[in-house]
Amino acid sequence: MRGQMTHLDTDVLAEFRAGLITGRRGVKITAHLAGCDRCTALDDQLAGVSALLASVPAPPMPDSVAQRLETVLAAEVSRKNYAERAQVDRPGESAARDQRASRRGFRLATWRVLVPAAAAVVLLAGGGYGLSLLVGGPGSPPNYTAAGSAASSAAAGSAARSAGRGGPAAAAPSSPAPTAHSQLKSGNHVVNVSAATLRQHVEAELNQPRASGPPKVTSAQLRGCIHLLAGHAPLVLVESVQFEGQPATIIVARTGQDYTAWVAGLDCSATSSDVLHSITLP
Amino acid sequence: MPDAGRDEPSDQELLRRHVAGDTDAFGDLFRRHRDRLWAVALRTVCDPEEAADALQDAMVSAFRRAADFRGESAVTTWLHRIVVNASLDRLRRRAARPALSAGDEQAFEALVAQDGDPARAADTRLDVDAALRILPPPQRAALVVVDMLGFSVADAAAILDTSPGTVKSRCARARARLLPYVAHLQGNRSASESVSPAQGGDT
Repeated sequence: MRGQMTHLDTDVLAEFRAGLITGRRGVKITAHLAGCDRCTALDDQLAGVSALLASVPAPPMPDSVAQRLETVLAAEVSRKNYAERAQVDRPGESAARDQRASRRGFRLATWRVLVPAAAAVVLLAGGGYGLSLLVGGPGSPPNYTAAGSAASSAAAGSAARSAGRGGPAAAAPSSPAPTAHSQLKSGNHVVNVSAATLRQHVEAELNQPRASGPPKVTSAQLRGCIHLLAGHAPLVLVESVQFEGQPATIIVARTGQDYTAWVAGLDCSATSSDVLHSITLP
Repeated sequence: MPDAGRDEPSDQELLRRHVAGDTDAFGDLFRRHRDRLWAVALRTVCDPEEAADALQDAMVSAFRRAADFRGESAVTTWLHRIVVNASLDRLRRRAARPALSAGDEQAFEALVAQDGDPARAADTRLDVDAALRILPPPQRAALVVVDMLGFSVADAAAILDTSPGTVKSRCARARARLLPYVAHLQGNRSASESVSPAQGGDT
């Protein structure tokens, strides 16, 4: 008979409780609830869901996550301060540097400079991203002093110690070879990246203004490593860093719709995928 | 939350100081809200690792975009919006991975077994967190923001970047879907005894 109602569906009752059902339909539901213990009980249970959820305490942030985020924010502060200092310092730089800076913007403040004593100079500008990278010859480990933005100065000592494991080139951090790119160096910090900060670091790099030109890597070992990891995927970024205290190279390539970033260790080559870490970025 | 009575700077003041160059301000803001931000990230993505990544993405974004904050909403609303967006972003990225479908009771049982003995129900939080996983992410996010964090529907709409009506609808569907899985935590009779859709009619 018109006007009578079977028991209420949970979804309907939930929508009614949320104020989504009004008018004549709402009046009918109200009337039904007034005379139906079963639906009233269901209504009470639905009310109890919200009450239950409200009573559940929020899980406290684990200390490890808190520490990680504090580190990330500290890195952001350093990056911001560094950018501001670079802006202030720039008027005093040479005209040639100013010219490059105007083309690349803040990029110059974060160029990494790697300068073993007998290093070859490799200018990478892959996938539209510029990168200054000096690497040793085949089998010669690169040196890892850098003009970093997010690393603490304390990391420099650690990096130097790590670089020291690489052999004779260890003295290079304090006496960079007089190459064109060494002039780009604007600090003596080390870019120290960890698994926790890798994504942020790569995203920041990818957001930097781009240069153009194909990537060229003269280190046969590094070329082999890149080929092994990225295959024929367009190379976007190659950068030498300290990864959790040890020398490493970040390799970023465009893989389909995403970017893939590998952190390659010193042993990475055409036949050895010495990957310390990897992530995918959209 | 800020307490003007104790001369603590408001959220908005901390954000203003951050934009002005105060290197401690954003960290203070983060520490003030970190547990709630963590809760919304964790409960939206349902995975601690993913939640940590999402929260990191969100905080870096908020740090860099602070100057864009115009004050149309509360700072907490703005922060939660960034975290929810980052969390949903994470879920979209991992969409290719096997996901639980809504109403998948086997998956629910597996999750409860993983998290603890449901018979004990000693830790309601674990049971609720496990139950939340059966919800589609948009419904889950709405329910977390409204029912668990206590935001108004209007603020939730701002956080979720949708209309108040959609927030209400998502919450309603989420509560209905969740009921059979959490009714036992209310101390009532099993919801499945009285809530089966087969038994219910329509209006």
